[in-house]
Amino acid sequence: MITTQHFLVLSAILFTTGVIGVLVKRNPIVIFMCIELMLNAANLSFVALGRHFGQVNGQMYVIFALAVAAAEVSIGLGIIVAIFRAKETINIDEMNLMKF
Amino acid sequence: MVNMSANLDAILPAIVIMVTGFLVLIGDSCVSAWRSNGKGLNSGVSLVGILIALFFTATRLNQPVHNAFSGAIIDDSFGRCAILLLLIAAALAVLLSTTYLENKQLQHGEYYVLILFSLFGAMLMVSSNDLITLFVSIETLSVALYVLAGFAKTEERSEEAALKYFLLGAFAAGFLLYGIALVYGGTGILTGNGGTTNLALIATSLRDLSSVAPPLMFILGVALVLVGLAFKSALVPFHMWTPDVYQGAPTSVTAYMAAVVKIAAFAVLFRFFNALTSISQYWLIAVQVLAVLTMFVGNILALTQDNVKRLLAYSSIAHAGYLTVALSAIAGKGAQLAVEALTFYLFAYTLMTMGAFGVLIWLSHKGRDCQTLSDLKGLVKVDPAAAYMMLIFMLSLGGIPPTMGFMGKWLIFNAIMQSGQIWLAILLGFASIISVYYYLKVVWMMCFSEPDKQTITGHAIEGWAVQLAMAVSVIGSLLFGLVPGFIQNMLGAAVNIIVR
Repeated sequence: MITTQHFLVLSAILFTTGVIGVLVKRNPIVIFMCIELMLNAANLSFVALGRHFGQVNGQMYVIFALAVAAAEVSIGLGIIVAIFRAKETINIDEMNLMKF
Repeated sequence: MVNMSANLDAILPAIVIMVTGFLVLIGDSCVSAWRSNGKGLNSGVSLVGILIALFFTATRLNQPVHNAFSGAIIDDSFGRCAILLLLIAAALAVLLSTTYLENKQLQHGEYYVLILFSLFGAMLMVSSNDLITLFVSIETLSVALYVLAGFAKTEERSEEAALKYFLLGAFAAGFLLYGIALVYGGTGILTGNGGTTNLALIATSLRDLSSVAPPLMFILGVALVLVGLAFKSALVPFHMWTPDVYQGAPTSVTAYMAAVVKIAAFAVLFRFFNALTSISQYWLIAVQVLAVLTMFVGNILALTQDNVKRLLAYSSIAHAGYLTVALSAIAGKGAQLAVEALTFYLFAYTLMTMGAFGVLIWLSHKGRDCQTLSDLKGLVKVDPAAAYMMLIFMLSLGGIPPTMGFMGKWLIFNAIMQSGQIWLAILLGFASIISVYYYLKVVWMMCFSEPDKQTITGHAIEGWAVQLAMAVSVIGSLLFGLVPGFIQNMLGAAVNIIVR
């Protein structure tokens, strides 16, 4: 029997994976995929909780979150393309024109 | 639906801004197809839109509270005050932008469209009373700002700033959304009859069930939402993006971003914690720690900067710290004073930050941005007007009387003393003393050094737009510092209603 707890634990694992990925990866596209993982972990929680409470809110929120994530993807990829044109690399470690 | 007009009425200024944004978007493509020199039109239309919205907001400042869109939007006096500040900041930013962008050959219509759309997001943010509305509007603001930060397409620094801002902003959005999910679940567990993300409902259920400890899930959710919002408002230790983004973005964008994001983020932080006052024992310590860290780290890191934009970025972090101090007084006694101080300080911060960045914009030449301290060396002999204005803004930022910055700091000090957190007030004093050093370093560079070949050759931008913006900032900073009563009365009456 799969209960709401299972969903929540899975979503917590996904979220943590996403956070760790953001912190250790050096390629912005992979980092961005990890951020998507975090957002989708939240979406999973929303759906599971909405089902648990018997409310439609949870499912509804996911639509908002998806729309926002889609907007972020388009902007993010645009920025990554722009920076590749300017610097011929997208490695995070080489984004060091400005520091302390 | 019958209520729809009432609903739309509640967000009328935001709608005006959105419509103006679309007008500029369509108008720009029509005009540039028709004639090549219609560029001044974009900023003109944007400014008119902002002024119309300003008029609508100012005339309804003290109307009763109005819930709209099933409680997702609250149209109260605090929100209207914040919208007023947002609109003033945006108007100043548009005035500062025009000639600067022309000099940098960035005078595209999209710039004003993005400014207006992000402003729309910020205006919804400060009036949202539901965490999901809050999330969507924060992202509306942020997504437009990511593009604006990278608006100077040919400059590597600007692109780098955009990438950093984007990655960390999206990271923060992940925390925020997951936090909202946990708050949703937590309230469901607490009340036993379904979750909610509505702040008003959360506040009532917490107050009704104050004998029960809130579930762990709820506390975790609140913590994650705080992390997400702390990223947006650049509180230490979530501030790492701020200096890079402020330095890399075009100066006009930096000025806009510094003011608008701060106003919106702190209005939202206030609304969020105002709903949680009945469980303040769980979050107050976190806010206090963030406040102390932010004040001291911001001020200490600013000491060694030799880039003025970067220095102002660290100073804006420190100011976020002072604002967080005000935030930690909203739970107990002195709540009324704290809200008043928060709003007053946001106003002061808007004028002085816009002004300081405005001076840099004023001095920026074609192909050479005024950025470093050595650019300002001996400025008083080269361009006294710019130097004296910078002097006033630096004194105001440092909180030296008779400026608005001093009044703001004094109000925060007062509020925090009222709430009984005297140690926090003392730390606030110490942090301000540190900050005076680097503000005076800028003044020293300008007034007591001899100009050399690195010094910028006076202001580069003629034209009434920049001068008007500078005049408003200078006169505002001085006038409301000397006669704070007027603003205080206005804000006091306005925020009276929301504090219980």
